[in-house]
Amino acid sequence: MSADNAGGSIKQYLVRLRKALGDVPSTERDEIVEEIRSHILERIEAQEPATEQVVNEILRAVGDPKELASQYKTEALLRRARTSQSPLLLLRTTLRWAMSGLAGVIAFLVTAVGYGCAAVCYLCALLKPVFPARIGLWLGPEHTMTMGYWNGRISATEVYGIAVRPPASFALGTLSATEGPVRELLGPWLFPVTLLFGVVFLMATTRFARWFIGKFGQRRSRRSLG
Amino acid sequence: MSKSTGEHSDGWEAQIRKGCLELAILSSLWKNRLYGLEILRTLEGGSGLGLAEGTLYLILNRLKAEKLVDSEWVDARSGHPRKYYWLTESGKERLARMARFWVQFSANLNALVEPVLGRKEVANVRR
Repeated sequence: MSADNAGGSIKQYLVRLRKALGDVPSTERDEIVEEIRSHILERIEAQEPATEQVVNEILRAVGDPKELASQYKTEALLRRARTSQSPLLLLRTTLRWAMSGLAGVIAFLVTAVGYGCAAVCYLCALLKPVFPARIGLWLGPEHTMTMGYWNGRISATEVYGIAVRPPASFALGTLSATEGPVRELLGPWLFPVTLLFGVVFLMATTRFARWFIGKFGQRRSRRSLG
Repeated sequence: MSKSTGEHSDGWEAQIRKGCLELAILSSLWKNRLYGLEILRTLEGGSGLGLAEGTLYLILNRLKAEKLVDSEWVDARSGHPRKYYWLTESGKERLARMARFWVQFSANLNALVEPVLGRKEVANVRR
């Protein structure tokens, strides 16, 4: 084993790390890679001569570059998301966070449903002029209320959108097919109502996601110590 | 059966270690400015925290983002620079609170588990 080979595998490790860090801002990425490089070199100096085996052991102790980069990325995303207004960034962040634990799964589900509801509201407002007889707030049997698109049938009636059946059913999509007529409730009020609810869902979800990320996103259990 | 209890306790131990990492890392910086490998050696020496080395830098990165530590690259004689860390004022305050909580908490727990192990064994472990 030559020093060249040792240098080669270190270089390769750092290239993989840098690549895996992907969209972490470049100054932060340089800093991370530089620090890991410095660590590896320190370790090697402490264990001369640097045989291939020694170098490989050192690299293994630092950890798999992909795994390490993924942790850095999650943290960088969570930090950015805490002050972000972008639904896309918040969704991406909570999805990534969901891979690493229950808190993340909850955050992602609530965020996805919240933004989903906002999207349905805006879609209704947008599509109402195109399908005036199909889009609306539909009252069906068993007090099922759905904001969305009615398939136009009297039997095997389905309405797709945000569905609520008191006291406890909620669906983003459709509740099971119902028999019987549906009645539209809003008429011309659809525009202001959907736009208002769209804004409310959007803002509430963004606030929730940011709050939840701030509270649980970085193992801030220390707070409870104060 | 014994295997499953073993796995259970491993998971529990790992969680405790994980929860104490920040306390241990901050504590290692109480008196000194240290670079990563020095922090790692301090931890290896005293704590049995068994930490993947890359994770140390991840946590340092987070502590810095939370302004509990600060850092600076310093050129070393070895030819490549080292990144030194130290506690900020708010880091010191936070650490003091954590340490106070920890001492109280662990004293209570020790008192609780003492009957399980006997006073002698507990004293031996402390040494």
